[in-house]
Amino acid sequence: MPQLKRKLNNQFIYFSAIVLAGIITLVVLTAVILPCLAFDLFPSYFRSDIHEGRIKIEYWEKWTGFEGEAMQKVIDKFNQSQSRIWVEKRPISRIEQRFLVSVAGKNPPDLAGLQAFMIPNFAEKGALKSLDELASEFNIKKEDYLSVFWDMGVYQNKLYALPTTPATLALHYNKRLFREAGLDPDKPPRTLDELDSMAEKLTRYNNKGKIKTIGFTPSYPGWWLWAWGFWFGGRLTDEKGRITMDDAGNVKSLVWVQNYARKYGLVRLQEFEGGFGRLLFASPQNPFLTEQVAMELQGVWMFNFIDKYNPKLEWGVAPFPAVEGLENVTLADCDDLVIPTDAPHPREAFEFISFVQQQENMELLCMEQRKFSPLKKVSEDFWIKHPHPYIKLFYELAESPNAKTQPMIPMFQQMREEMNSAFSEVWLLKKTPEQALERVQNRIHRAWESQKRVEEAKSKSQNSRLGKK
Amino acid sequence: MLYALIILMFLSLAAIVAAFILLKHSDKPQIKKLANTLFLCGEAYLLFHVLHLIISIIQYGVSDFSVLLTVGEIYVLVQSFAEYTKRSRLRRKLIIAHAVVIIGSIAFLFPLIWMVSTALKLPGQAMSYPPKLIEFPMRFENFKTCLNYQGFQFNLYARNTLYLCILSVLGTILSSSLVAYGFSRIKWRGRDFCFYLTLATMMIPFPVYMIPLFRLFRLYNWVGTFKPLWIPAFFSSAFHVFLMRQFFMNIPHDLSEAAFMDGAGDFRIYWSVILPLAKPVLLVVGLFQFLNTWNDFLGPLIYLSDQKRYTLSLGLQFFQSQHGGTDWNLLMAASTLVIIPIVILFLCTQKTFLRGMTMSGLRGG
Amino acid sequence: MIFKISHAEFCNIKKGLLFISPWIIGMALFVGYPIVASIYYSFTDFSVLLPPVGIGFQNYSDLLKDDLFWKSLNNTLLYAAISLPLGLGLSLFLALFLNQPIKFRDGFRAVYFLPSLVPLIPLAILWQWIFNSRFGILNGILNPLLQPLQASAPNWLEDPMWTKPALVLTRLWGVGASMIIFLAALQEVPKELYESAEIDGVTHWRKFFNITLPLISPAIYFNLIVGIIASLQFFAVPFVMLGRGPADSSYFFTMYIYDAAFKYLRMGYASAMAWLMFILTLVLTILASRVSSRFVHYETDNL
Repeated sequence: MPQLKRKLNNQFIYFSAIVLAGIITLVVLTAVILPCLAFDLFPSYFRSDIHEGRIKIEYWEKWTGFEGEAMQKVIDKFNQSQSRIWVEKRPISRIEQRFLVSVAGKNPPDLAGLQAFMIPNFAEKGALKSLDELASEFNIKKEDYLSVFWDMGVYQNKLYALPTTPATLALHYNKRLFREAGLDPDKPPRTLDELDSMAEKLTRYNNKGKIKTIGFTPSYPGWWLWAWGFWFGGRLTDEKGRITMDDAGNVKSLVWVQNYARKYGLVRLQEFEGGFGRLLFASPQNPFLTEQVAMELQGVWMFNFIDKYNPKLEWGVAPFPAVEGLENVTLADCDDLVIPTDAPHPREAFEFISFVQQQENMELLCMEQRKFSPLKKVSEDFWIKHPHPYIKLFYELAESPNAKTQPMIPMFQQMREEMNSAFSEVWLLKKTPEQALERVQNRIHRAWESQKRVEEAKSKSQNSRLGKK
Repeated sequence: MLYALIILMFLSLAAIVAAFILLKHSDKPQIKKLANTLFLCGEAYLLFHVLHLIISIIQYGVSDFSVLLTVGEIYVLVQSFAEYTKRSRLRRKLIIAHAVVIIGSIAFLFPLIWMVSTALKLPGQAMSYPPKLIEFPMRFENFKTCLNYQGFQFNLYARNTLYLCILSVLGTILSSSLVAYGFSRIKWRGRDFCFYLTLATMMIPFPVYMIPLFRLFRLYNWVGTFKPLWIPAFFSSAFHVFLMRQFFMNIPHDLSEAAFMDGAGDFRIYWSVILPLAKPVLLVVGLFQFLNTWNDFLGPLIYLSDQKRYTLSLGLQFFQSQHGGTDWNLLMAASTLVIIPIVILFLCTQKTFLRGMTMSGLRGG
Repeated sequence: MIFKISHAEFCNIKKGLLFISPWIIGMALFVGYPIVASIYYSFTDFSVLLPPVGIGFQNYSDLLKDDLFWKSLNNTLLYAAISLPLGLGLSLFLALFLNQPIKFRDGFRAVYFLPSLVPLIPLAILWQWIFNSRFGILNGILNPLLQPLQASAPNWLEDPMWTKPALVLTRLWGVGASMIIFLAALQEVPKELYESAEIDGVTHWRKFFNITLPLISPAIYFNLIVGIIASLQFFAVPFVMLGRGPADSSYFFTMYIYDAAFKYLRMGYASAMAWLMFILTLVLTILASRVSSRFVHYETDNL
């Protein structure tokens, strides 16, 4: 009798286990597998180029957070203002890689937001549609813009991109630390020598001899290590397009850099700077915000972080000083909109671009992102309502004839990596500036020469083909 | 604080002495167990205290009292350990193994503890100095907030990821076992050459075959769907074939011989003899493939364009922004949620595939 | 006469090919074209967006003169030489310990495996935190300990000498997967062998070397080969965590391949690099196989 009971028990458990397994499988099947499988088997049913009867424009943008929201406001405005086109923004990370792969696979979006430095590379390889015709049709002219931002979208005299949000760099300094060090907080340094001597006065050490506060160091924040040459009259390419990474100005800038490493002691600086990476930048522990760095080269966005993490900070901006004879030197950068070749709806995409370029929309976008506008015409309201207290300075720097940009050549990415590497070697006292620059000049020159050889081989094969005809 | 440490130290000494006494005066197994527990607790605390003393000696310098105390405690520790393990049935090696494993697990767990601790903080608290493990009050609502943050949709992405994982695990187990069988249980000319060819495909770095592969998938019209992420799994993966082959080659020849004698064809042998025996390996392969697919970032990055089809690992990117700063606490909260399902999966399956089936039961049978 | 195959052999080849047909079809559908294409690209200048232009061996000769190539190769080999033995040793060590009848053993196994479950993005950020020389917990522990010795904890991520050790540590943290494989292999070792050895009075070390190691040698071989391949292709963690690193100290080979392909749009150059890497991996793998063929024992060795 007990055996029978046990048998029944076992069978019951067995049975209920099967039923349970069956239920779980059914749930998994309907909730998970079927919907996704349906998408896989009938993709065209789910994809469409139409949204509520309008043409859908796929717009890839790297922005997230408040920057993404700013652009979304403009998009919403555009979508509401007409009923033929619907713009859909997709946040894409690693946009450079993603863009390349999709264009190479002939599967591009209609519109993409790239950073200016990516444009020459893509333009040269034919990945971008030239916008000259469409621009003239929609009455978008070079004269409407600050020249430095227009030029960033031009490659080999053809227009490939139009700006969305611009940026320039300036010296940010801590007014309270200035006062403490006996310096006039309304008289920031105007020459490099003043910068160096003020930095010395602002630097404080603790009782163990370690750095507590640093006046200035060229290695922080370390985002434009390749560009110091600009403030010394140096440049990376000359008018003829030759690579001049080892020109006198660049060498002088690295000498200046190395002096800092020597003056303050490399080990002490490393200990001090240790950990001041990107991780800390967007946090209350940002060293400029914790008043451990008195002066730094930063961009127009810095205000966002000050406002968010330490609004009580007393700070000011000024043009970053340069060598004798050069005034208002800055590095300008820009985010741009491009239309890839083989885009499904280039004309409609451009309609959106031209909408963004209109003054009031551009100002909406730039105001939300707390940046200035790349247009020459700016409304008074923009300046009045803008939350950034020093926004006009950044704008004036962009207007200056000494507003520099990265060389708009495809090889720039490689050059930038190499210049960063040269800075690192000079900073770590492993090489002299001449040696470091000579080496990167040789490397880039070699790469450039092999590029030339390829061009020759290409034209030779083309000629031979034409000759055969 | 100091008084607490001293009191605990005396308590632990008392525990050890009590353990000895209990061990001597009783034979009942429950009492023995109690003695063992007392002893272990006492020893553990003593060890901890000794380490603490050594660290403070290093930091604050030597003083007669601290050195005396440290030496005394070490002596007590070692002697009592030797004596007790001689008398009781506790094995020394086992205790040492325990100690090593526990200390090691703290080191291994630490980054994860940090991850969870950040998940429970406010954005500004993530990078405080000195770093604090717990900030009160603990923000459990972060877990709720991160589920639907700025484009990240946990449920949707989890569904997509689960879909990919189920299908690719299915495909991998079926196909890789078939192929591994062919590479291990049948002797045929050119077998080893083909196997090394399989291995060789693992040796090619991904950036170079990414673009031609993308072109291929574009040709098949699979880009933008999930297909590139699970269909290739049905055609075996070199890594899993390799793993399974190693285990298949360890199954004794006699078993398949016996089945062959009974008239079974190769496929029957594969299905009825080898597969059941290889359950542990199959589970390991399934687990690894699930893990790979769950955390795969590069594949979904390239092949999925519709935001509704994103996977979890791809979705985590929404928590990072370029110039706007990252919400570290939400990112860590989301990451914790992403890990939990695979942890559960591992805990459920590890008993089965690790307890495994030993060959001993099949020897001579 | 060389190709005279007996009927039995022919049947076996047929059977073998049938079983590995998924792999063959997979090769044809997904693997063949990319491999052949990348070999072809290595002899061209290919910017991905424009058609490739044949340039013969120029890529290869440029590579040999490229000092960044040698630097990245150096970095990779150094990293592999350190992390491979340490990783194998640690995972075997842990597997042995976790094979003992410890309380809560299953939980501990999960604990050691857990780190390899963390997805890449949060993992890289966690590491950046932990190794942060100012706020990180690692230096938070090391600094007070080193103080009396007048030393201070290293600048893990900014000192060129310490970036590779930091990366090795991150790799060691993820040995869970290879530990699992060793564990599974250890399960297969019959307990009677140990028992009979103990009866014979064999010492602990002899037991390890003469019983354990030979019986798990297939797993050792597996982890070794996979370890060689994985460490030579080390990419994801340093890519997200460090980039090139101070003085290019964390610039690994696959990172240069990635940069050349996607940043500098020189896919031909990248393909040439990839194939050199392939040859290197192949050579090392064959060497490892030759060496281990003397030590690896399978149950079916007479097959």
